[in-house]
Amino acid sequence: MLILALTSLLAPLLCFALLAVVEPLRRRGRLAGRLSALVAVSSFAAAARVAWMVLVDGADPVTWTVHWLVHEGQGFAPVGIHIDGISASMLAVVTLVAACVQVYSLGYMADEPPAAQGRYFAWHSLFIVAMGLLVLAPDLLQLFLGWELVGLCSYLLIGFYWRKPSAGKAAVKAFWVTKFADMGLLLGIIALFGATGTMSWEHPPAGIWALVVPALLFVGVMGKSAQVPLHIWLPDAMEGPTPVSALLHAATMVAAGVFLVVRAYPLFEAAPAMLTFMAWLGAITALVAAVTAVVQDDIKKVLAYSTCSQLGYMVAALGSGHLMGGYFHLTTHAFFKALLFLGAGAAIHAVHSNSIFDMGGLWRKTPVGAALFIVGALALAGVPGFAGFFSKDLILEELLHAGHLGPLLLLVVSAGLTAFYMTRVVAIAFFGEPGARAAHAHEAPWIMLAPMALLGMLALVGGFGGGLLAEAWGQEYHFAVTPVGVVTTLFGLAGIGVGVVRYGTRTWTGLTLDGLRGFILSGPVDRFWDSAWRRGLLPVARMVGWFDRYVVDGLMNLVAVAVLKLGAGVRRLQTGRAQDYVFAVVVGALLFLAYGVVGG
Amino acid sequence: MTGFPLLSTIVAAPFLAAFLLFFVPATSRATTRIIAVAGTLVSLAGSIGVAALYDPAGPIYQLREKYPLVPSLGIHLDLGVDGWGVSLLLLTSIIICAGVFATWTMQERDQEFYILLLALVGGVFGVFVSLDLFVFFLFYEIAVLPMYLLIGVWGSSKKVAEAGPFRWIFRLLDIGGKEYAAMKLTLMLLAGSAFILVGVLAMYKAAGLDTFSMEALGAVDYPRSLQMWAFPALWLGFGTLAGVFPFHTWSPDGHASAPTAVSMLHAGVLMKLGAFGVMRVGFVMLPEGAQAWAALVGVVAAINIVYGALSAMRQTDLKYIIAYSSVSHMGVVMLGAATLTIDGWNGAVYQMFAHGLMTGLFFALVGLVYERAHDREIFHMGGFARAMPAVAVFFTIAGLSSLGMPGLAGFVAEFLVFLGAWRGPFPWWAVAGIFGAWVTAVYVLRAARQIFWGEGPSDRYPDLSDPRGPEWVALVALAACLVVFGVAPRLILDGIDDASADYLQQIEAAVAATADASGVRP
Repeated sequence: MLILALTSLLAPLLCFALLAVVEPLRRRGRLAGRLSALVAVSSFAAAARVAWMVLVDGADPVTWTVHWLVHEGQGFAPVGIHIDGISASMLAVVTLVAACVQVYSLGYMADEPPAAQGRYFAWHSLFIVAMGLLVLAPDLLQLFLGWELVGLCSYLLIGFYWRKPSAGKAAVKAFWVTKFADMGLLLGIIALFGATGTMSWEHPPAGIWALVVPALLFVGVMGKSAQVPLHIWLPDAMEGPTPVSALLHAATMVAAGVFLVVRAYPLFEAAPAMLTFMAWLGAITALVAAVTAVVQDDIKKVLAYSTCSQLGYMVAALGSGHLMGGYFHLTTHAFFKALLFLGAGAAIHAVHSNSIFDMGGLWRKTPVGAALFIVGALALAGVPGFAGFFSKDLILEELLHAGHLGPLLLLVVSAGLTAFYMTRVVAIAFFGEPGARAAHAHEAPWIMLAPMALLGMLALVGGFGGGLLAEAWGQEYHFAVTPVGVVTTLFGLAGIGVGVVRYGTRTWTGLTLDGLRGFILSGPVDRFWDSAWRRGLLPVARMVGWFDRYVVDGLMNLVAVAVLKLGAGVRRLQTGRAQDYVFAVVVGALLFLAYGVVGG
Repeated sequence: MTGFPLLSTIVAAPFLAAFLLFFVPATSRATTRIIAVAGTLVSLAGSIGVAALYDPAGPIYQLREKYPLVPSLGIHLDLGVDGWGVSLLLLTSIIICAGVFATWTMQERDQEFYILLLALVGGVFGVFVSLDLFVFFLFYEIAVLPMYLLIGVWGSSKKVAEAGPFRWIFRLLDIGGKEYAAMKLTLMLLAGSAFILVGVLAMYKAAGLDTFSMEALGAVDYPRSLQMWAFPALWLGFGTLAGVFPFHTWSPDGHASAPTAVSMLHAGVLMKLGAFGVMRVGFVMLPEGAQAWAALVGVVAAINIVYGALSAMRQTDLKYIIAYSSVSHMGVVMLGAATLTIDGWNGAVYQMFAHGLMTGLFFALVGLVYERAHDREIFHMGGFARAMPAVAVFFTIAGLSSLGMPGLAGFVAEFLVFLGAWRGPFPWWAVAGIFGAWVTAVYVLRAARQIFWGEGPSDRYPDLSDPRGPEWVALVALAACLVVFGVAPRLILDGIDDASADYLQQIEAAVAATADASGVRP
């Protein structure tokens, strides 16, 4: 089992090293892509086998570590592989989506220059390694290593179109914001080590640290998993190629924050205040992002805010004190959101535009792609039977149990909004008037459709995997119809209904969103951070730089000038004229004489 | 192998190569380079040998050699290496090799340039292996002085806007000129040396042992009054070279004016001499003074980190950005030292190593860009990745190491230092350090985007191209080292840890002994 897990890590690492070092291979982009996709698929095969052994065959958890660092002759900071139900299932999900996305990319990226394709696939391979490190981490330090490396991959892949200024800005912004949050995470790990002497999540620290440590860790989670107000990088990250958005910025990397909470749950559990905070923050994020998604015209932006919103669900769920709901939603969301992004990518590929109004009527031109996208939309909207329905239902159930009624209410409202904005996208992009650019649209090649079909299957039936996933905690999971579930479903159906009459049949056009749109598109949160940057950090840096050049260094120069002047003054004594020297000798002699007379 | 004088070979090889270069006709450029490379390769091979032979379980100083110099004053050429020295020898030899390759295309007076460079690096090697305080100081001066000529002759000038309260000084001193930079660097470092000399002589006299042996002098329990003034003298003296605020201002001007290999060597290795001196002579030999002043050392180091990073953010000249980043990163070294914890000390030495590699790579790249673009203003640049993709990749690697990306050497060092700081007397130092690392991410990635990404006015820069021939060697070697030592820190960390643990024990024992003698619990 260990060997298999190692294989799923080392194969992509080898692939990355090959593509990074062997330039001729990288320059043959298609070959590089095929190699990388093949490696990703085999990586998934290995991971799936591991997950099967743990979850179905009930194999015992395995840990293999070496000490990465040393102090006073004692090794510390174990790194290695930790396989249990959580890590095995997460690894399988990650590698599955990664494999799908890489195969899809073979078609999607086919028009790029070969060298760029090679670069693209190299980074994708690196991403699988980084994510694997994170998922299989035996303690927080290795998790942090993987965490930072996936952030690096995110930066590189968002900036894939590096000649586009907006892509460069988005890449750097994503790095800055997440790294800003990671200060909290790193400090949390260090504080944990200071308090308990290990970086393991098994033993919560005592006293005030029981609250401080998880709070610090959670700052990192807020950055990576795009919680308000640190979510601002995620919509911009859509500058990357669409398959990247599917893999990193929807299915796996952004879920790393949720995964961290799941992993380090003993630490969070020890701080009930933290759990309540998470429930509220997650619910607020879910609602704010859902509202924002309603007014977006860029199909990727809708999906990005939707990702934010769904991550809010997961975080809120973890605040309930139960793990299953949040984690379950993480996996189903990985499937259907990756599907939605790949579907959006196919649509973008067909019309060469991100705007849903440029699409329009794609249903007739690309029926398979459209159908698969709609499957994803139904799963996201929480229509009964689809994957998203089960996991969302469990989240709300858990929150009700925990007594977090406020967050529960926000999430139920968000569920309605979710259904509404997805219906809006589907109605405008795939039905309705054909857009200007939709005339020559054609179906995506099979190599893009096949992975979508696989994810579509999972979005359809993934909800029935809940029982399997519950094995990770040795729990049982049974679905039951409950009042909360019924109400939420009704909200969702109502959202779909409103969406259909407003954007589909257009029988009711009374609903306009102009006021909301004006407020949201002015970007209040973005503006806040922007002014913190322009009025806070930049002027301070300017001031410090000026101070250093002209005051600190000025003082040093002043010393130098003082010495120069002193030298110039003393030099006057050396006039070079004999009479001056004779004069000095005489005066000196007289002074000695006077000293002799007076003193003697 | 015990009989072979490995350490003196390492030290002598560059000096010998420099000496040989006097006899090579100035026109035979190839011979010049072959001799220079050969000299540095011998040292590199020796350093790798030392790293292989050093046994962390053995005594603290290994591979000892001892030759009398001035026996009447107790001065010996006493060589030996501890776990710190092992990594720093390795660092120095890697950087000097890379530096020679990086300046392969240098045209002007190349022979004299290499002579000075080799003499300088011989001095650096000498400092790291000297166990005699007098010889230590001697080598220290040998390492510092050639810089004056290297910058004054081969450097470059830059116009600095006249402003601020001392505006009237600018014209007086020709601020920004290379002669100014060379003069400023040398004078400030020499002023530091004066402090060091006073401290060293005071220790020699107070000990009254008629020996400069660092082991013997280190075992002496100096009176508290002496320690209280001698430690700050050593701290400021060595610290000037380590870029300690506010005596760091030679560094931006000096590094910006210096030619490529000199910046590489100076920021990469020479600044480490300062930090090594503070730790090896200041902290270890004057433990009580160190303990008393550690809080101030740490506060100043925290200032260094944040202040240096913010200053770097404000710069628009590529070389100044990197130079200020060195000021910031050397703060991490001093912060680690000030914690007086094992992790902090391991991290401090590891940071010397990691920062040396990283900044060496940075300056090599900056040299390449400058040579091809004839410009250092980053806001003039843009889209360079098209013409020089490999340079863009290496720049990103160096930048990631400096902002503490795991998998590269910088992270290991910063993590250990922050860990030590948190467990030391003042946990908030770690917060300052971590904030500094974030600001580093801000300015490094901004510079990378500005220079390499986007479309850019490429027609203004017709000469842009990727590295050629020997230039590759420098970049690949340094980047590879960053990765190797970022992934497998224990290659050198065990040795570093061995020395740190021994020295910290000495300090603790000394402080405890005094506390017992005076009847006061520490």
